[in-house]
Amino acid sequence: MIEFSNVNFEYRTTKADGTNDDIIGVKNINLRIRDGEFVVLTGGSGCGKTTLVRLINGLIPHFYTGKLTGEVMVEGMHVKDTPIYELSEHVGSVFQNPKTQFFNVNTTDEMAFAAENQRRDPEHIVKLIETTAGFLNVRKLLDRNIFELSGGEKQIVACAGIAVLSPSVVVLDEPSSNLDHDAITRLGKILKKWKDEGKTIVVAEHRLFYLKDLADRMLLFRNGEIEHEYDSREISTLTLDDTERLGIRPLSLLEVPCKQKEKDAFIDYLRLENFDFSYKDKKHSIHISDLSVPSDCVTAIIGHNGAGKSTLARNICGLEKHCRGTMEYHGRRMKYKDRLHSCYMIMQDVNHQLFTESVGDEVMLSMTDKTIDEDEKEKRAHAILRELDLDIFFETHPMALSGGQKQRTAIASGIASSKPILIFDEPTSGLDLYHMKQVASEILKLKELGKTVLIITHDYEFILQCCDYVLEIEDGQVRDSYPLDDHTIDKLRRFIMPKVKGEGNV
Amino acid sequence: MGLKFDPRTKLMLMITIGLIMMSGKLTGPEYILRLVCTAIPFILLLSIKSFKSAILYAILLSGTVFCEGFIVPYTNGVMNLIVMTICGVISRFGPGYLMGWYFVSSTSVSEFITAMKKMHFPDVVTIPMSVMFRYFPTLKEEYLSIHDAMKMREIGQGVKNPFQYVEYVLVPIMMSTVQIANDLSAASLTKGLGVNNGRTHICRISMKAYDWLLILAMVSMLVIFYAF
Repeated sequence: MIEFSNVNFEYRTTKADGTNDDIIGVKNINLRIRDGEFVVLTGGSGCGKTTLVRLINGLIPHFYTGKLTGEVMVEGMHVKDTPIYELSEHVGSVFQNPKTQFFNVNTTDEMAFAAENQRRDPEHIVKLIETTAGFLNVRKLLDRNIFELSGGEKQIVACAGIAVLSPSVVVLDEPSSNLDHDAITRLGKILKKWKDEGKTIVVAEHRLFYLKDLADRMLLFRNGEIEHEYDSREISTLTLDDTERLGIRPLSLLEVPCKQKEKDAFIDYLRLENFDFSYKDKKHSIHISDLSVPSDCVTAIIGHNGAGKSTLARNICGLEKHCRGTMEYHGRRMKYKDRLHSCYMIMQDVNHQLFTESVGDEVMLSMTDKTIDEDEKEKRAHAILRELDLDIFFETHPMALSGGQKQRTAIASGIASSKPILIFDEPTSGLDLYHMKQVASEILKLKELGKTVLIITHDYEFILQCCDYVLEIEDGQVRDSYPLDDHTIDKLRRFIMPKVKGEGNV
Repeated sequence: MGLKFDPRTKLMLMITIGLIMMSGKLTGPEYILRLVCTAIPFILLLSIKSFKSAILYAILLSGTVFCEGFIVPYTNGVMNLIVMTICGVISRFGPGYLMGWYFVSSTSVSEFITAMKKMHFPDVVTIPMSVMFRYFPTLKEEYLSIHDAMKMREIGQGVKNPFQYVEYVLVPIMMSTVQIANDLSAASLTKGLGVNNGRTHICRISMKAYDWLLILAMVSMLVIFYAF
């Protein structure tokens, strides 16, 4: 059993000028989670759901410091007075970013890791890994290098590691953020098995559709407090309008309507010829001999992990020298070098593309046109930043911004570079409804500015928000491409959610 | 060659080669020892099937050994200085560097931890060192995507301003590795990693006859090196 009584927590952070700044994590939490209960925590970014998870696995107060009052009890232990390694025998944790939760490089070693730390008998651990791999159907993920796995596979390995030790409580912090629909379905199945085993499960999550049938209770957080509780019956009656109003992602994807109107015709096209490229390891290769994508709209590039979406994007951007293909755009034929000058990619991890000491410099760095002077550059930078609600951060260091603000800074640099083609790599992974919509509206703004926008994404709701055209990639080839409207929405559904054909209860 | 050595043997090899290559002279018995030490990484690289790096290493090192033995004595002045410096850096650091690379790529994290435990190193030493194994591939991943980002921004290109290039690479790499290190620590803690709690190992390592043989050979090389 997990019990919170009068729990308040504030994170202590230090501002640039050295003063302390306390940020509210959670407040006035009184909560009792029964053994074997499945609880979903949801709400916008920074609402306190992650903090609650950290209070259960002991990272608060043992790793993240701040001001904690009240009492948290987990399986009869006072979290405050119990070292994490003792808690970890009873509480397993899965994190948002699959990249940063592995201590080992080899997957089998990683699965054994938690059990080894609890001083379990090695022979017993080996047997447990074998049975767990069978139970969770992950035999082919044993004894692999984690740097070769996809995000989805990594997340499954993380779950398997927990299953080996088999703690009575499992907490998951936005586990689906980086996963495609297939991987989310697999994750859902694992959660179902754990629920049937009687484990207590707490999931903090934005994307709710895969948890709808599993949840016994859903807690809606706002500003660190539990705003509302829903039991499983109430959850099943929540409609799309309700979730919109509450500011959370929908519980059923099939209800999400398509915003796009049927279009007459596209005027201009971007044409790719002979895009044939493979890496040394032969994985993620693409073979596209001829492809046309409308250039005056937003195109979603969809496909399962490893289908070659990122390879395609990298080739379009001109990041792969050995790609012989040419692109025809506005009547110009472009080799890879020319493409590098006309494409700009907003990466999934935007930290990789922010280089300077202030947001303003970041934007001005992109203006490579030598004919305009510094004053003019600054004026233009202010104009671009104003458009993206970032002008107040002109002097701020990019690393002091929130994730969404950083992403907008990267978009601003893209606009400043005056490159006509912008490519986004999964811009909405880990975003709540509000921020997802915000990204969608920025992308629509880019379209108005006359940019050609291509988006690699797994996010079905997001595609329906802002994309006009869909490109399905499978095994490195274009499986289908079509304009998105009420008539083609079924196609999109079938591709993204193949297993739920006609069931109507995603 | 499916020869798999115990991590302890590999450590011993690494230390011996490092010591002899860094400080050995170019004459007498020491020169022969240096030749042996130069050959070892080549054989080991072959044993883990990195043929490309093995061959590159062989060409580079035999070139420098040849230069040191046959060209250096016949040159003088500036030419001598240049050849000496280049050869010196390659022959002194090359084998040690390749041994390090071999060690990291042929040893798993758990083998390393187990070996350190058997040698009675405290966890405070072992655990930070073991993170190294996943740090290098992570660093490579991060570097590659930052490099892409720079290409796209058209910054840091060309050799005009190397310092700016370094700054542009280092700032984002620092930011993201600090974040990764932080997340990784949190995740490892929740998996019960702690210092001096003791842990068990599913990984089995053991010293075979050829491990002992190699260690004996290394010890005798060190004895010859320092005694004569």
